[in-house]
Amino acid sequence: MNPHLFNRRQTIRTILGGSMLFPAIVSELMAADAASTLATSPLAPKPPQFPPKAKRIIMIFATGGVSHIDTFDPKSSAGGRDGSGKDKLMGSVFPSSRNKTTGVEVTDLFPHIRASMEDICLIRSMKSAHFDHTEAAVGMHTGSATFTRPSMGSWISYGLGTVNQELPSFIVIAPHLPYGGTQVYASDFLPAYHQGTRVIPGSEPIANLAPRTPKEKLQQLELSLADTLNQFHLQTRMDDSRLAARIKSYETAFHMQSAGPEAFDLDQEDDKTLSMYGLDRGDTKSFAWQCIVARRLAERGVRFIELVDSGSRPNWDAHSDMKEHEPLAKASDQPIAALIADLKRRGMLDDTLVVWATEFGRTPTKEAEFGRGHHGECFSIWLAGGGVKAGHVHGETDDIGKTLVSGKVNVHDLHATILNQLGIDHTRLTYRHAGRDFRLTDVHGRVVTEILA
Amino acid sequence: MQLSARLSALAILSLLSIPVIAAEDAPAFFRGLNLNGPAVQIDGNPWEGADSVNYICKDSAFEQQNVPLVPSTDPDRARMIRSSRWNGNRVELKNLPAGLFTVFLYVWEDNNPETFTVSLNGKTVMPNVNSGSAGKWQKLGPWHVDVTGDSIEITSKGGAANFSGIELWRGKHNGSISAPINETDLAFFENRIRPLLAKHCYECHSSESEELQGGLLVDSRPTMLRGGENGPSIIPGDADHSLLIKAVRYDDGTEMPPDEKLASNEIADLERWVSIGAPDPRLDATRFVRKKIDVQTARQFWSLKPLTDPVPPAATNLDWSTNPIDRFIAARRDSSGIHPVDLADKRKLIRRATYDLTGLPPTPDDIHDFLADPSQDAFAHVVDRLLASTHYGERWGRHWMDLVRYADTAGDNSDFPVPESYLYRNYIIDSINADKPYDQFVREQIAGDQMPATNDEQRNQQTIATGYLAISRRFGSLVKNYPQHLTIEDSLDNIGRTLLGMTITCARCHDHKFDPISQDDYYGLYGILNSAQYPFPGIELEQKPRDFVHLFDAGKPGDKLAYAMAEGHAEDAALQLLGNPEKLGDVIPRRFPEVLGGQMLPAEQQATSGRLQLADWLTSPDNPLFARVMVNRIWQYHFGVGLVKTPSDFGIRGLPPTHPELLDWLASRFIEDGWSLKSMHRRILLSRTYQLSSLAPADDEAVAVDPSNDLHWRFNRQRLDAESLRDTLLSLSGELDVEMPRQPHPFPPSEEWKYTQHHPFRDQYDSNKRSVYLMMARLNARPFFTTFDGADQNAGTPSRDSSVTTVQSLYLMNDPTVHDRALRFADRLIRECDDPIHRLTLAFELVFGRPPSESELKIVTEWMHGIDDDTEQRDAWSALARTMFRTNEFLHVD
Repeated sequence: MNPHLFNRRQTIRTILGGSMLFPAIVSELMAADAASTLATSPLAPKPPQFPPKAKRIIMIFATGGVSHIDTFDPKSSAGGRDGSGKDKLMGSVFPSSRNKTTGVEVTDLFPHIRASMEDICLIRSMKSAHFDHTEAAVGMHTGSATFTRPSMGSWISYGLGTVNQELPSFIVIAPHLPYGGTQVYASDFLPAYHQGTRVIPGSEPIANLAPRTPKEKLQQLELSLADTLNQFHLQTRMDDSRLAARIKSYETAFHMQSAGPEAFDLDQEDDKTLSMYGLDRGDTKSFAWQCIVARRLAERGVRFIELVDSGSRPNWDAHSDMKEHEPLAKASDQPIAALIADLKRRGMLDDTLVVWATEFGRTPTKEAEFGRGHHGECFSIWLAGGGVKAGHVHGETDDIGKTLVSGKVNVHDLHATILNQLGIDHTRLTYRHAGRDFRLTDVHGRVVTEILA
Repeated sequence: MQLSARLSALAILSLLSIPVIAAEDAPAFFRGLNLNGPAVQIDGNPWEGADSVNYICKDSAFEQQNVPLVPSTDPDRARMIRSSRWNGNRVELKNLPAGLFTVFLYVWEDNNPETFTVSLNGKTVMPNVNSGSAGKWQKLGPWHVDVTGDSIEITSKGGAANFSGIELWRGKHNGSISAPINETDLAFFENRIRPLLAKHCYECHSSESEELQGGLLVDSRPTMLRGGENGPSIIPGDADHSLLIKAVRYDDGTEMPPDEKLASNEIADLERWVSIGAPDPRLDATRFVRKKIDVQTARQFWSLKPLTDPVPPAATNLDWSTNPIDRFIAARRDSSGIHPVDLADKRKLIRRATYDLTGLPPTPDDIHDFLADPSQDAFAHVVDRLLASTHYGERWGRHWMDLVRYADTAGDNSDFPVPESYLYRNYIIDSINADKPYDQFVREQIAGDQMPATNDEQRNQQTIATGYLAISRRFGSLVKNYPQHLTIEDSLDNIGRTLLGMTITCARCHDHKFDPISQDDYYGLYGILNSAQYPFPGIELEQKPRDFVHLFDAGKPGDKLAYAMAEGHAEDAALQLLGNPEKLGDVIPRRFPEVLGGQMLPAEQQATSGRLQLADWLTSPDNPLFARVMVNRIWQYHFGVGLVKTPSDFGIRGLPPTHPELLDWLASRFIEDGWSLKSMHRRILLSRTYQLSSLAPADDEAVAVDPSNDLHWRFNRQRLDAESLRDTLLSLSGELDVEMPRQPHPFPPSEEWKYTQHHPFRDQYDSNKRSVYLMMARLNARPFFTTFDGADQNAGTPSRDSSVTTVQSLYLMNDPTVHDRALRFADRLIRECDDPIHRLTLAFELVFGRPPSESELKIVTEWMHGIDDDTEQRDAWSALARTMFRTNEFLHVD
């Protein structure tokens, strides 16, 4: 408890006299206290260990296993490699071309992202944590394919806190839960305030954000009385900072009721921006909505924003026909490219690291009609902004996309690199639990310096 | 040392039970059968071909002679292996004389890996054999069979197995002995090979090594054949494919010895040696004892020292001598010069004790009865009344459920439901209510199915108790390579942390870095659980649950099933190099960790899993951790913080106790009281220390000196946990359904299950039952519980956080649940009280356990008038209810 805050509150109370419209008025009067209370918040911003390149992360997670061969690591289908041969080898099902500036080849599934390749650092040499969805997806998020561990977003929230106390530090926009369910954004042994807050697109993106009292004034009256009762209670318990923190948290929550919806309110976006993302006004169902909201959350200081592209059902898991990739790519290509361009034009790409990832790639051999199986040996992901090389390709696979030839990056390396860009040494971000100091990267991880600008 | 002791014990046993064979020390080759193909010569022994009359096999014959074998082998053996039988997988060996035989089975893989289980005469001898990728072959066995008829039946089930050949030995073959060595070869080995290995390799690759490299021991033939992390080091007869030869040639990445290449004549000697079959008299497998634990030194650590029974310090202040606990506390506190606060007032005390023991608030009647009782024993009566309430078991059962990571689903990729889980939940609650002695409670959970029972009910309850092990987490979605080792690890992790306060699973992949636990200790325990049968809840690619245990009805197994343990295939387990179940090292005898006594599974119990012994070892009063860990937990649940603040880690990285003598004194009383939890509650609750106020006078110096209250100069204020909060809201609104459910959650029938990781189990079955009875899924946590720091369903939760978050505040402000409860609470207040002042008093008593003060009465009444102007009475009172639900006084217990 900050005694200064309390004295000030008492003063405010005196000023208010009989007025019961406490929070609305007080919040203004107490604005000056914001800095001092911030210091007591467990989510208060913490300085990085060294000067960071990125201040926040936007991670796009395409669930199901995106075929590297049919997207960012196209392989020739000439010479009978169309799945009809005895070896069932099947090169890219979709035509591809090269980005004019960088020469990076991408299939026609992602024409917009292909055009953005000069801003992107493509990693064609990822290796997955596992060959099955749940383990690989959980591994990509937590570093462990089997044991419950905190999610990367929770680790980053723990390491850096967040600048905007009126929004959660770690937000996951997930219309549907991905494989592994709530585990992918759980804080596990880290304190609960570092867990991801799930946003479900629709009328109330964050649960309980809308005041539920019949009249807004009534909620203020309630909060006012609660505050009075809490102040009585606090007077004999001044040494307990948790009590003061909770009193403060109602005020934050009160503001979040407006700050939260404001962050999700796309009425403030002009038509030009919406059309850049390919979003129809009023539509909250499309992936474009997630992308534009991500930018708004980033602007408002949210530390880690994750967009789940589809979920554990109809997704990128194209076992029977690679054509299943088409509608998903169409839904995400333009909005993702727009997100990069939008961040860039606002000068935010420099300190925002965008990560596009999936849990594994797909086999170079055909499965069923024209599908592919799971393939963890090699696959593609990409990064943009946040101090990584732009227009760069890291690592390569063999001519059929089956094995890595060079530049292996595993999930621990990826995590170490992401932390590094945020100014955190992955070996020094630890939390004591069950008798040892845990890390996001466990005992592994190497910063992939080759991709850093 | 222990191993050889056990081996000799085994030898004595076999002498006693099989006298006929005992004289016949050396096993003799009896017969080889090439199941598909001609007669061949293998290891110098004549094998019969497919046309032999000495067996019956109706399986399809199959041959694929162009697949390269891994490891490569001599031509005759290779021919035998690559022609095999499959589809049916049943071989009956005929025309056998009575006596003891040893059976080896050659299997191989021609294309994709398969997993199958091999049985001999209907009994599983090798579960979950993984055939490996194309070309891999294995010689399975040795299996010992006492032939009484004239045949042996070999079968497999599960994935498709390729049976290539069968090798039969008369007598007991230990699998490591190969053909006798002739004198020339022996001389060559002794003169040229042994000195060379000793000089260049033993430093890093022998049982005497300081640290073993690559898991490879080259100081015995069996360990060279088995090899290390990279596979077998030699393939007798095939120098070119032997890793040892590749390494000394420096031509394949691995370069051994690393400092300097051997001389060319030395390399030539090794090549020759392997080429002639690597003749080697060193037939006994050596063992590298990984961590040489100095037990004497290790047991000097506070938590591993034998339990003591300290005499409580003399009372220095008679006001503080009511209870020995207070004397321990006072002695330490007084020496720090800190003064305790006064006792809590009676209202605060009964609210504290009622939440503490039942997780619910006291009723106004409870409070008034207590206030009206001026006797010395008034509080003792309250404690007795609360301990007799069934709500006590629900509250303290939930603590146990936190520790054992109770859940109603399995945690695999599809999160399969386990409808029978509730039986174990009810067992916990019933046991706690019955004050079942803690040692018995734990014994039943480890091995209740193996314990004697006098009637069906007792037998069933003891079986259900093993739900503790059964609910261990499941992993994956595949039948092949089902990661059973991870489920066992989950069990061991929980046993270690919950019962022993030890992080033993650190030793799954390597010796524990901090605590005196070796990898051998881990696999000694692993073998016990690996010898038990876990029920199979179903996974994506094998939907049907199986291996559940039938509960007894009228003296025999009935239709009702329990998710519980049974005995499995009993055998010691091999150590897994770097925790990888495909890279096996030494077989470790089943035993208890050395530092806790190192008790071995007795010879006469080798045919059992050893769970019964494990249960005894764990709960023995000689185990210094067992009682200490539990009394510390009891203390922690009462006071909010344990005497040891790392309740599940009593190791070197944990924290030492703030009051070590008190901890031991409590542990000794716990044992003396027959491991009674209720007696321990009484001791603690009737202490002055428990009854202290949580309020500190303004500017109390103790706040500055000891802010974390390590010295117990006051009571620790505690936030309501998630369950207490929800249950209280339901109780205030009059909606709480207090009956214990004796039926499973309404899961769909298992025949309809089609859960996959794409469409995992996602149902939620809500009710107005107490929170302890809500269905808890592993992969889909309930938002309310994650918001208010509920337990983790995937790993033991030794203590709950009490975080303060905006999401909590938003919940209390806007969640429909809170609004609904408030509305019904308002209805109740209006129904029960006509007079507004009395009604307000009732509201305060129900929510805070006290009447409003004068000024509160005034403020709230004015406030109500302010709202009443334009709102219904019901709305005004529900607005007040919501307001009260958001107060710190409601959310905390003083």
